[in-house]
Amino acid sequence: MDSFSDPLVRAAQTGDSVAMAELLLRLEPIVGRICGAIALDQAADAAQEALLQILRDLRQLRDPQRLVPWVRRIAAREAVRMARRQRERAPAAFDPGALPAAGDPELAAAVRTVLARLAPEQRAILALRDLAGLSEAEAAAELGVAKGTVKSRLHRARAAFLERWTS
Amino acid sequence: MTDWPTVELDPVARLRILARALPHVHLVERSIDAPVARVWSIAGDLEDGVPRFETLVRRARVLARDGERLQLEAASPFGATRFDVLLRPGFCVMHGGSTDIGMAAASEGAGTRFAHFEGHRRFGRFAWPYLAWSMPRELARLARLVEGGERKR
Repeated sequence: MDSFSDPLVRAAQTGDSVAMAELLLRLEPIVGRICGAIALDQAADAAQEALLQILRDLRQLRDPQRLVPWVRRIAAREAVRMARRQRERAPAAFDPGALPAAGDPELAAAVRTVLARLAPEQRAILALRDLAGLSEAEAAAELGVAKGTVKSRLHRARAAFLERWTS
Repeated sequence: MTDWPTVELDPVARLRILARALPHVHLVERSIDAPVARVWSIAGDLEDGVPRFETLVRRARVLARDGERLQLEAASPFGATRFDVLLRPGFCVMHGGSTDIGMAAASEGAGTRFAHFEGHRRFGRFAWPYLAWSMPRELARLARLVEGGERKR
């Protein structure tokens, strides 16, 4: 679990630029993982926009202990927004024959190829549940949807991922 | 799940984010025809390098160091200011009094993209005309120092 001291978060909330910079550096891996899994080609733009929103809205966070869930929620929403925009412009191509076996050095690229075939909302639920390790209730809160929606969306996302992975 | 795609930003992208989150700072960038390591050997040397290109920094002295966090005293024509500093390769942010300063360097082809912000909380955007005049000159001085191969003092 990522931990952030209250004094660091409080200092960043007052506009201390050094505290904001340290927070930015420490939050970037969390935001990068979520945006990378959801926004794919748009991941860098999504991560930058999410980090900017986090720094600008930091004063709205009342409890520093809630920083990481709050950050994940902003990153997931920004990544889904970017991915939807990209999907409208150019749907991803898929070539099952190009997939390597598990353990292959190109595994990460293969995961990415399969993720690209899923809807942004499916990538978001996989990222929050299977990558960030959130419970169904936490994922529901962070995506702003009902718990039942998370359950059904996760089921469909895992099935879609497996189908494309094994085809 | 370590094979999931991820994204990592370069130091200049990080500094741009920070500059957009700090409404009183003014950001300038330029390309420098030298590798990042050479550029940062001057820009990241707060005591001996920075006073050679920063207009208002006459002298700077590191008072304490704890990993990437430093305490720095910088002397300007208006007096001495103590800064809290975060310094790591290619990235530096300083906060002292009501002044914020940032620098970052990232590879750009065979050269370097260098970004620099400065801002004064009390003067806010009223300081921008001065900064818009002085900061490009500071970066030009840094580029001359680096590209000209001048040796540090």
